[in-house]
Amino acid sequence: MIRYFNKFINYLGLALAYMRFNLRAQLEYRQAFISQVVAMFVNDAFWVVFWCLFFTKFPVVRGWTSKDVITLWAINAAGYGIAFSFFRNVNNIPYLIARGQLDSWMLYPRALLPHLLVGTMSATAIGDAIFGYAVYGFFIRPDIPHMLLFVLLSFGVALVFVSFSILVGSLSFYLGNVEALGDQMRGALVAFSTYPASIFDGAIKLILFSFLPAGFVGYLPAQALRELSFIPVLEVFAGGFVMSCVATFVFYYGLSRYESGSLMEMRG
Amino acid sequence: MIASLRKYYWIALMAARTNLAYVGEVAARSVFLAILLYIYLRLWTITYAQSNATRLGDLSLEQMLWYLVATQSIYMSTPKVAQNLDQDVRTGTLAVQLVRPLSFPLYYLWNALGERSVRFGITFLVGSIVALILVGPAPLTVPGYLLLLAALPFAFCLDFLGYFLVGLGAFWLEDTSGVLLIYQKSVMLAGGLLIPMELFPDSIKPIVQALPFSSIVYGPAHLFVHPDLAELGNLLLKQGVAICGFTVCVWFVWTLAVKRVHAMGG
Repeated sequence: MIRYFNKFINYLGLALAYMRFNLRAQLEYRQAFISQVVAMFVNDAFWVVFWCLFFTKFPVVRGWTSKDVITLWAINAAGYGIAFSFFRNVNNIPYLIARGQLDSWMLYPRALLPHLLVGTMSATAIGDAIFGYAVYGFFIRPDIPHMLLFVLLSFGVALVFVSFSILVGSLSFYLGNVEALGDQMRGALVAFSTYPASIFDGAIKLILFSFLPAGFVGYLPAQALRELSFIPVLEVFAGGFVMSCVATFVFYYGLSRYESGSLMEMRG
Repeated sequence: MIASLRKYYWIALMAARTNLAYVGEVAARSVFLAILLYIYLRLWTITYAQSNATRLGDLSLEQMLWYLVATQSIYMSTPKVAQNLDQDVRTGTLAVQLVRPLSFPLYYLWNALGERSVRFGITFLVGSIVALILVGPAPLTVPGYLLLLAALPFAFCLDFLGYFLVGLGAFWLEDTSGVLLIYQKSVMLAGGLLIPMELFPDSIKPIVQALPFSSIVYGPAHLFVHPDLAELGNLLLKQGVAICGFTVCVWFVWTLAVKRVHAMGG
């Protein structure tokens, strides 16, 4: 048990070192970094404006109000931001597999998947994370329990986003290059999870809690925050845990089929 | 003059042919469009039902979905004008292009028009199939298609000028992706991509209608589901004025930008 705990602490140290390094690399182009963060913030704000316009005309959509949709957007953006600002490399998995470029990562004396994930960071995702927390704080004006629950849920949502991206990316081991498919799947996940969940029912709702886990990044967190209930929180983390186990299995099982690209590569 | 036009016509044709080679890829990417259309259908079906209305603005539910097919096809068919121009400026490819016996902005325009016409065609076809399955062909008329075709070239030109201006920002900015994102979202929101102008709150409707973005997305799409010759006339006038204004801006910025190009042999 202590061994696993030490391993976890050791990994946290590695992740922090990568974060520091990646952030410094981003700040080398300070103007570009700031403009990307601000632009992503504004980009998300446009969506909130759209929903405000929509709800001005139609105040309630099957029990969902503008406040619920803003919460939905905030938790989505915060979770997405955390996931991809620190684990941006997850989106490169199909690319690395298809071009046989996992070799350089396999040479390190580290567990492959967690090490690979922290390899790069995204400036725009930082804008998403800032947007999520700022919008929830500014528009919803939560009390302390709601804010703490929001912070907790944002990490659960991030876990689902990262796990889903690993799962989709790992399909490259079996299907060849799935970069386009991965983009579409992630796009679909975000699209389904940023609309009021009450508009979906029947078989689609089943899909949103299984193959395309939009229910875990949208509906359940929004429900938890609306009702200040812990059961949906547990469901979010349970969903994220199951998905991360499946994704890890699919990745390592697929790794046995991996073929090197025999590529000479330097990593700085 | 005719020889010059023929040159640009061939550029557009080449760009279109190049894109036809990737029909499968563009069609596969349209799967996302199918997902979006399904979500919109659910949202608007419930909205119409809750409002107890058969028409919102001047559109029925079927017209609303076909309107969204047209707006999404216009929006999703945008070629990577700003990104490519940004790359040309940063890598110095621009200097090589300037040596050619043609106008660089016009080369970019015709190339974009050729590419966009193919992308729009494929996206619109996929969207139409999805809409046919979801709501059927109810509101479609031949004049609708004709008026859409009449308004689209100018909408594409206007949109091109916007993207070209963003791309020219690469002469001064470290990174133009942020400005690009904001431009895209302005087209989305103020262009009426997700919600027709009639459903905007009365207080901001005149402002949004006065902006050029509605001439890119809302104008052609609304004519498609609600064909009206007088509306076409108004739209063409708006598009013409906006194109003139944007052309002056592009010319001014381009003149400044070209002075910053420094080419070295090698």
